[in-house]
Amino acid sequence: MAEYLLSVHNADESPYATEADMERAFAATGALNEEMRQAGVWVFAGGLDWSYKAKVVRVRDGALERTDGPYLESKEHIGGFWVLDVADEAEAIAWAEKATVACEGAVEVRPFQGVAG
Amino acid sequence: MSQYLLSICHPADAVQPPSDELAAIMQRVGQVDADMRAAGAWMFAGGMHDPSSATVVDTRSGDTVLSDGPFIETKEWVGGIVIVDVDDLDAALGWASRLGDAIGQPIEVRPFQG
Repeated sequence: MAEYLLSVHNADESPYATEADMERAFAATGALNEEMRQAGVWVFAGGLDWSYKAKVVRVRDGALERTDGPYLESKEHIGGFWVLDVADEAEAIAWAEKATVACEGAVEVRPFQGVAG
Repeated sequence: MSQYLLSICHPADAVQPPSDELAAIMQRVGQVDADMRAAGAWMFAGGMHDPSSATVVDTRSGDTVLSDGPFIETKEWVGGIVIVDVDDLDAALGWASRLGDAIGQPIEVRPFQG
């Protein structure tokens, strides 16, 4: 089995036009999570809070430094993601096709080099 | 408890360290990983392949469109992620500091919605 990250990218505002749109996507995403669990491929799924709430820590000149805001100042950020454990890339992409329909956003599929067991 | 995503940020000018240095980094990261587990904070950790390995799946147009490469083309990229479950942001930042110190790269800390 191989682990894949399925990430959903959003602009900084809500990707859903109305509350009803959001509720429909959340319900479909919840059903997909259950389907992934039943199939034994689900490792983790989570929706991230707003990117402005991010902080970055780094070591600069030997001292720890903290800054507010995301590392990348881009218009789009990861809004949420799944980690799946599947047979191969084709299976990861098949789940991504279901995921993009459920959450109504583009889904990026990227393999892990390795995960901590 | 609250869940936080710790993203390992590879700067645009990052280069792969020589193998002995990489081995030392992996050993330090392994220790942080073990300490997270001992503290009950560890949920998931994985290192990513580089962004050229990514595929984007998009059905928003009504058709399924697959494209090679990452969704966002940037020089910086996420090299790995760690998910922790901790009391508060300070605890998450504490683990991020240890992880960043072990790897020598910036770490972005971001809360999950729920």
